[in-house]
Order: sequence, then C-alpha cells, then structure tokens
Amino acid sequence: MDNRECDSIKERNFDTMLESSVSGLPPEDVVVEVTPWRKAMRRVLAGIALCTITLNFLCLNYILPAIGMVLSILGFRSLRRENKWFRNCFIITVIRAVYFFPLLILNTTIIQSTILALPVMSVLTIVNLLLLIVEFFCLWCGLRAVQQKVNLPPRAGGAVALIIWYAFMYILAVIQYSGLVIAGAMVIGYIFIIRNIYKLSKELDEAGYSIQTVSVKVTDRCIVISLISVLIIGCAFGYIFGGSYKMDWSKVNASANAEVEEIKEQLIELGFPQYVLDDLTEDDVAACRGALQVAVDVTEEPLNNGGASGDAKELLITGVGVQIPGERENWIIFHHFLWTIDPGFYGTEAIQLWPAYQGVSEGWASYGEVTGRVLYDDNGEIFAAPYYFLGNQTFTYNSIFWGEQTNTDIFAAFSMPRRGENYRGYIAYPIVELEDGYIISSWMNYTHQKSWLQYPAMTAMEKRMTNSWNDAGAFITIQDALQLYPEDEGTEIIK
Amino acid sequence: MQEQEIIELLLQKNEKGIDALLLHYGPLMRYVIAPILQNPHEQEDCLSEVTIRVWEKIEQFKKERGSWNAWLTAITRNTALNHRRNMLRCGSGAELSDDIPSTEPTPEEVIVQQERQTEVNHALRQLPPKERMLFYRKYYYLQSTAQIASELGMTERAVEGKLYRLKKKLRKMLGGEVHG
Repeated sequence: MDNRECDSIKERNFDTMLESSVSGLPPEDVVVEVTPWRKAMRRVLAGIALCTITLNFLCLNYILPAIGMVLSILGFRSLRRENKWFRNCFIITVIRAVYFFPLLILNTTIIQSTILALPVMSVLTIVNLLLLIVEFFCLWCGLRAVQQKVNLPPRAGGAVALIIWYAFMYILAVIQYSGLVIAGAMVIGYIFIIRNIYKLSKELDEAGYSIQTVSVKVTDRCIVISLISVLIIGCAFGYIFGGSYKMDWSKVNASANAEVEEIKEQLIELGFPQYVLDDLTEDDVAACRGALQVAVDVTEEPLNNGGASGDAKELLITGVGVQIPGERENWIIFHHFLWTIDPGFYGTEAIQLWPAYQGVSEGWASYGEVTGRVLYDDNGEIFAAPYYFLGNQTFTYNSIFWGEQTNTDIFAAFSMPRRGENYRGYIAYPIVELEDGYIISSWMNYTHQKSWLQYPAMTAMEKRMTNSWNDAGAFITIQDALQLYPEDEGTEIIK
Repeated sequence: MQEQEIIELLLQKNEKGIDALLLHYGPLMRYVIAPILQNPHEQEDCLSEVTIRVWEKIEQFKKERGSWNAWLTAITRNTALNHRRNMLRCGSGAELSDDIPSTEPTPEEVIVQQERQTEVNHALRQLPPKERMLFYRKYYYLQSTAQIASELGMTERAVEGKLYRLKKKLRKMLGGEVHG
C-alpha cells in the first residue's frame, strides 16, 4: 500500500469517526440555521426594509438602499430556481440595480443634476417605481407558490400590504403631500408590514425546507466585492474627472488696438488699477471710453482657513466703478478677484452678483449685459476663457423663516485648471441713474469649493442656490460689496 | 397548526397528528433524508419509517433536552442512516449468519466511542459558529459539497477548501494522528 492510499484510508477513517461522534440532538443554532430558505429570505426582507428607509444624514439615504439592493440580489439569486415568481423577482432586482448603481456613480459628478433633469430620467424613475410594485407582486406569488408546493394553505398578506403601501406612497408623492399625520401613519404602517412579513417568513420556514437552491459559479462574496470595487472605482473616476467644468481656455495675445491702449492710459490716470485693467477684454475697456471718474475699493478675504500659514487672505477682491458720459449718470461696475496663492482644491467656483439696480432699484437700472472672463498665467503666458455660465438664473430654495422662496440672480460659474497660477477674473455690468441721490451698492458673493468631499456632487453655483450657510460642507462663500456715493465733486467710497 | 398542538395530538395517539406532522414537518424530514438516501422511493419509505418512529417515541420528546425541530431532525437523520445501513446489508446479498462476527460494537468500543464523542463535542464548542455550522452540514446532515455550496452561496471548490481547513483544525484539536 503506497502513502497516498494510506492517507486516503486515514481520511476516510477520520470522516467516519467525525460522523459517528455527532449522533445526538443537533445544537439549536444549527437546527435554526441549516435550511435552504432562511438566509435567502432574511436577505430579501432586509433588502426591502433598507431600500425603503430614507435617513437624510451621513449619506444614509444612499448607503442603506445600496446595501438593501445587494441583499435583495443575493437573496433572490438563491431562490430563483425555486419558481418562476422568484426568478422574476431576481430579474427585476437586477434591472433595478442596473439603474441604481450607475446613478450612485453619476452622483459623484457635477453633470448629475443636468442628467437627472432630463425627461428620460423622469420616465426611468417612474419605470423603476413600477418595477418595485411588480417585484412585490412576484414576491407575493412566489411565497404562495412555496406554500402550495407542500400543500400548506397559501397566505402572504404582508406582501400585498407592501404593494398597497407603496402605491399609496406614490400617490402622496404625486400630490406632494407634506403633512405629518399621514406620513406618521405610513411609517407605523410600514413597520407593521415588515413585522408581518418577518413573522410570515418564520412560519414559512416549515415550507422553506422544500425549496431548491441554485449551484453557484460566482460566490456571494465575489458579487459583493465586485460591486463594491466597481462603485469605488466609478466614484473615484467621477470625483477626479467629473468634478469640474470643461472650460474653453485660449492664449491671450497682446492688444494691438491703439484706441483701446489710449483708453487704458486714460483709465490709469483716473486711478483704475493696472492689474484689473490688464484682465479686461477690449470690448469692456472700450465701453469705458471717455471715463469721467473712477472709484476703487480693494479688500482681501481669507478662504481655505487662511492657507498654509493660517493668516493669509488668499482672495484679493477689487471693486471698480467707472463713470462714463451719457444723458443720465452712467456707471460701469467691475468686480475683480485674484487668487494670490494656490486655491488648494480645483473644483467649481461661482460668483453670485447682486447688482446695484437690484438693491437700490429706485435709483439705478440696468443698462446692458453682464460681461466678464476668467484668466490664469502659465509659464509667463496668459490664458483666458469665458465663464462656463454667465447670466440670470432663477432658483427656488427653502428658507427657515420664509418657507419656499424663488429668486433670480446673476451667476458666473467656472473652474480653474490645476496647472497655472494667478487665477483671476471679473464681471462687469453698466447701470444708469433713474433718480438722483442714491448710493451704488453692488454685491458679489464668491463661492469656492475647498474639498471634493460631498455627495451627491454639487457645483458651487448649485450650492449657492440652496441658500446654505456661507461655510457649509465642501464650499465656502465670502461676500464683498462696492458701495459708493456718486457726486460730481468726487465720489465717496463707503466702507 | 402550532407545533404544540401537533405534539399533543401525537401524545394522544390521534391520527390527525400524523397528518399534521407530515403537512407541517414533511419538508423538514424530506430535507434531512434527501442527502442520506438518494433514491426517491427509498426516501418515501424512510419518511414513512420516520413517521412511525415519531408516533412510537413521542413520549421520549422532552423540551428541556432540545427543541421539537432538533428532536425531529435527530430522529429523521438516525432513521435514514439505519435505513441506508439496512439497505447496504441487504444489497450484499448475504443474510447475516452466526458465523459472521457481529458488527455491533463491543463494550470497550462503546466506551472509546463515548470518549471520542465527548472530545469532538468539546472541540466543536471551540469552533467559530460558521465553522461549526459547516461541520454539522457535512458530518451530521451529511450534505454533499454541492448542496452546502448552493445553500451558502459559495462555489464547491470554496466549500472543499473550508472543509479541508476545518478537518485540519479538528485533527489538531483532537490530538493529531491518534484519531485518524
């Protein structure tokens, strides 16, 4: 007898010895767990519960449904061979996962709000909700089929209650019900339904011994690890490549327009800061032709908690008012910003403008379009780009004190490239006097994205439109105003 | 029908108890029998045997010693094993004669077996729950690797690997070659 045969006999003897050593009553935990049904059913139920729970903090409204979706897939995957209803449940869950998980990745990019606003997404959302109802119907039929198979009286009322509950929730969502009474009743109802299904699942343990499980080629662990990996990689790509605007940068060539140069010289004589003037487009300089007076206000604002040194004021903001000739008193207001050190994180930035004619509408009116651009230096060369967005934007937000409010403001949105230095830009707009004696008060809110850590991803402009606090999450906003009292004998800057 | 009602009916020797037993616990009994006896006819014969044994031994069921499901599992498993053993004997084509030494264990063997049972049970108590569950599936329920794999959502290869490591661990805990 060779060693191999000898080892094989030893193995068999050891197996026989182990087999014969456990002939009494099996331990209770073993009896409870050894069934083809319990694990799969518990996963399905936990999946349903987690997919419905919405806790709007710490991203739990995304994490819990994601876990629920995975549990549902694994649960129905084990049961899919048992009957056609469970197979349908599995197929529907997979379809819903194909819709759900890419959305989780999409949420790491700033295009998510644009894509989610597409009509096709509304259709997909409705289809997803309908699929959920169909899934519960299949679950109900599947549970009854398992009972019927072993001649037990079919009953699975909990699943029907779940269908009714969801249908009612959809109706409440459609009519935009926001009361607490029915919402509270729905939560209590939901808890009862889940408890009922849990109890039913325990009762079904009797019938559950008869179900057929499926041999697997890919393990549950493998599926979970693959899904997590895809999510992590997808989200990382989303944050890295989908977190900023695609800007149209081009090299700035020195101006050869003699008239523009002449206007520039005149503006400098009136006190227009050279570093601001150099960043203006030829059209904006030309608009200042024949300037009568210039008022300048310079402030330094700290962002990124004062940078590495802790006390740096990274953003140099220059407000410039230029009075130009006209029948009535005409001014062009410039808000210029300059990053004096590295901005740190390169995501999205936004400027919200509260123009002079908005705050003091009795005294001033708009006299033209808002213009502007952004610039940076790279290896001694200057690059410029138009804003990704520049114009009026109407938005709705919830105010603690005033409830739902709708506003329209001027926004400028942009991203800065990672290479380069001296990131800067400006916005400008002309105003005309309506009535004498009013101050010019023009406000600029600059919102900087200081971190990638936000979910779902928002742009600085979107964040600003939520009317959040100035230092909230991944964004920080600083406010600056150019306020002046125009007079013929010399304009007074109001500090 | 509740578990207690079925037990009561069986204790009263009421035949409705048998019907209820088969209706509510037939799937469990079939689940325990299936890995031990592959032939469907044998499985049905064994189920009848189990039913008779439950009918006869219902007085022996004591809740203090274990749950109804555990007792039913044990009685089903042991009946199925005896059934298989009897089939193998009959299958050899030879009646047991007085000349052939008895296969019943000697008193010494019984004592050794009891000692082994104590040692194995002690070792099992030290195993993590998942490994203990795997052990019982393999050596108590006598489930095939394929069945264990499909019910646990694992590949057969993964189950084989886990069983190999489990046996190695148990062998070490039980004192190596002595029990092999």
